[in-house]
Amino acid sequence: MLKVCASISLGLVLGQITSHAQGYAPAAPAGSAPASAGMSAPVGGMFESNTFLEMASRAFDPSSDSMDFENGSFAWKGRTFNLTSQRAFRARFERFLLASPTEEEESYALLMNDVLQRLSVANDRSDDAILETWEMLFRAARFDTDGGNSTIVANQVFNAWRIRKEMRGTALTQRELADMRRHQQTVVANRALMLEKLKEKKQRESVRQTSEKEGNSEHTTFPTEGAFRALELAETEAKLIAMEGQAALTGIQAKLQMQSQIVAFLVQRRYQHALLLSGFYQLLFKGSQQQLEVGKGELKSFFPNTDMVFTVDMMAFVANEAITDVNKGVDAVNTAYAEDRAIIALERLQETFFLGEYMPELNAIPVEQRRMLLDLYRDMMEAVELAEAKDYNGVAQYAERIALIAKDFPLMRVLSSVETAKSMSDMAVFAASQYRNLGDIDKARAELQQAIDIWPSNPSIREFQQETTKLATAGSQGVQIFDDLYKRGDHRGIYDRRMDLGFALAEDTERQPLLMEVIEQVSTIDLLVAQSAEALKQGDPYVAWELLAEAAKFDPDDAPMNRARAELAPRVADFVVYLDRAQRQAAEAQHAGSLAGFLAAQDIYPASRMCREGIERQSSALMAHLSEQAEAAEE
Amino acid sequence: MPPLKPAKSRRPASIWSAVSLIVSLFAVALTSGCGDNFSDLEVLPTESYMKKPSDFLGNTYTIRAQIDSQVKWEKGVGRILAVLPESGGARLPVFVPDAVGGNLHIGQRYEMRARIEAGGLIYVESLRKY
Repeated sequence: MLKVCASISLGLVLGQITSHAQGYAPAAPAGSAPASAGMSAPVGGMFESNTFLEMASRAFDPSSDSMDFENGSFAWKGRTFNLTSQRAFRARFERFLLASPTEEEESYALLMNDVLQRLSVANDRSDDAILETWEMLFRAARFDTDGGNSTIVANQVFNAWRIRKEMRGTALTQRELADMRRHQQTVVANRALMLEKLKEKKQRESVRQTSEKEGNSEHTTFPTEGAFRALELAETEAKLIAMEGQAALTGIQAKLQMQSQIVAFLVQRRYQHALLLSGFYQLLFKGSQQQLEVGKGELKSFFPNTDMVFTVDMMAFVANEAITDVNKGVDAVNTAYAEDRAIIALERLQETFFLGEYMPELNAIPVEQRRMLLDLYRDMMEAVELAEAKDYNGVAQYAERIALIAKDFPLMRVLSSVETAKSMSDMAVFAASQYRNLGDIDKARAELQQAIDIWPSNPSIREFQQETTKLATAGSQGVQIFDDLYKRGDHRGIYDRRMDLGFALAEDTERQPLLMEVIEQVSTIDLLVAQSAEALKQGDPYVAWELLAEAAKFDPDDAPMNRARAELAPRVADFVVYLDRAQRQAAEAQHAGSLAGFLAAQDIYPASRMCREGIERQSSALMAHLSEQAEAAEE
Repeated sequence: MPPLKPAKSRRPASIWSAVSLIVSLFAVALTSGCGDNFSDLEVLPTESYMKKPSDFLGNTYTIRAQIDSQVKWEKGVGRILAVLPESGGARLPVFVPDAVGGNLHIGQRYEMRARIEAGGLIYVESLRKY
C-alpha cells in the first residue's frame, strides 16, 4: 500500500512541477511552505539561468547604453530625455525603418532651413522681413511632417504682437487719465482753499449772529461738493493704477508663454521649432528679458547636473547642438553599415533616431539599409524574448539568422551559452531520474525543478514525465509481477523489469532485498558472460568455458548464459566431457572416478581452476574415506 | 716319471651340464612369475575405466606407469598418486597404501598390481620398479 501511495505521490508531484513550469497551476499557498521547500531551485541552476539571460541581454539587446527603458530615460551629453516605454519607442522606430523619404519631406526641410536662415542675426531684421518670415510659418504648417508646430510658433508670435499693440492703446488711455487726474486734483485743491476761506469768514460772523439755523444750512452746502470732487479724483487714480497693472501683466504673460513654448519644443526634441521661436523671441523682447522665468522644473530634469541660469540663448544653443549630433549620428550609422558592422549601425541608429526623431536629416539613411536594419532589429527583439522564455533552440536558430545579416554578431558566444544551459538542464534531468530510481523523491523533485528552471522546454523533461507516469502505473502491478517471476525462477525476467519493479517495491521491506539479490545475481552472470566473450576473442576457449561454468552456479537456467555455453561447447568438447563426468561422479560420491575425470580434464587444460579445485576437493574426500576404512580395519 | 693319476678323479661333463640346466630353469622360474603375481594380470584398459569405473569394480590389473605427481598423502593410510600409464591416455589416480609403498619419487616407473575398489579406486597391492 505504501509503495502505491509513493507512486501516486510522485506522479502528483511531477504533475505539479510541470504545471507550475507551464503556468497552468496556481502558486502554492503560504501555508505549504515547508512542503514546497524542497522544490526550491538550487543556486547552481539559477546561476546558470541568470548567466545565460545576462549574456543574451548583452548579445541581443540592440539598444545603446544611453537608453534606459527601465527608468524611461535617454541620456545625451548630460541631458536626460523622457524615453517613454520600450513598446512605444519600438513602434515609432519600426515605423521609421519602414518609411521611405518623400519629396514633400525634402521640401519641408528646405523651407525650415530657409526660415531659420531668415531669423539669424546676420540677415535682414526689418519689420517687413520679419513679417514675411512669420508668414512662411503657415506654409511650413501645411506639411504633415511639421505636425502643426509651426502654427504654434506663428500663434505665439502673433500673440506677442497683439499684446504689444494693446499695450500701445493702453498707454494712450493712461495719458488721458493722467491729464484728467491733474485737472481733478486742481479742482479739488481750489475747492478746499475756498472752503477754508469761507470757514474763517463764518467764524467771524458767528460772533455777531445768533441764528444757528441759517448758518447750519449754509455749512452743509460746501463740504458736500468738495467730497464729490475728491471722489472723482480717487476714481481716476484707481483707473490709472489698474491700467498700469494690466499692461504690465499682459506683457509678462506674453513673454512667459513664449518661454514656456521654447522649453516645450526642446523637451519634445522639436529643435527646429525651438530655434524658430527663440529667434522670434529675441526679436520681440529686449536683451534684459532673455532669462527664463518658467519651465524651471522641466529644465531641471532636462539638465540634472547643473546650477546654470537658464536663458533663451541657452535653449537655442542646445537645439543647435542636438541638430549637429543628429547629423553626426546619421553619418556614423551609414559608415558602420558600409563596413559590415550592422550591430553597431543599429545601436547608433537607435540613439540618433530618438535624438532626432523629428529631424529631416534622418532621411539620409537609405531605404534598403533601413529595411535590413529592420529585419535585424526584429530578429534581435524576437531572440531577446525567446531568451527570456528560455527557448534555447529558438535562440540558437535566431542567432544563426542574425549572424547571416550582421557579421559583427557574437554567434559563437551565444551558441556556447545555449549549449551550456542545455547541458546543465539535461544533467539535472538525469540526476532526477537517478534519484527517482533510488526512491529519493525529494531530491528527484529538486533536480527536476532545477532542470525546468534552466530550460523549461527541455524534451528530456517530457520523457522523464512519461517514464515516471509509466513507472507510477506499473508500481501498482509490480508486486504481482515480481511474485510470479520469482516463483518461476525467472530471474532474467525480473532483471529485465528491474526499473519498474525497483520503483514498485521501493518501500517493500520483504521483496526489496530479494529483488536486489536477483539483480546482483543476474548482473554477475552478465558480467561473467561478457568476460567469457572477451576470453574467447583472445583465443582462450577453456577460460571462456570456465567463466560460463562459474556463471552457471548463480543461475543454471539463465538463457543468455546457456546460449553462450551452447555456442562454445563444440570448441571445448573434450575438456567438457571429462569435466562433466568428474562432476557427475562427484555428485554420486564416486570420488576416485571423479578424481580421474578431473585429472584427465587438467591434462587438456593444465591451468584450469575448476580442475585444480576439483582435484583438491575429491582427493581430500577420498583420503578421508580411506582413512576411515583404515581406522575401521585396525579396530 | 711319476705315474698318471687315475681317471676316476675327473667328474663327467654331463653332470655339470645338468647342474647348469637346473640353475637356469630355477632362474627362469623366478623371473617368469613363479616367485611374483604380475605376469598373469591384464593391463588396465584406461579408456574404458575412465568412461565407467564402476564396471571394473573388484578386478585386479597390472599397470605400468610413471609417477606424475603426488596428489595427497596421509600418514598411516597411504598416498594418492597421479600416474601416467605407459599405454598412453590421461593420468590416473592410484592409491598406494603405506604398507606397500616405500620411497616413491616423481618420474619413477613402476609396474603395479592394482585392484579396483569401491568408487572406482585403483588400489595398488604391490609394485615394483622397472
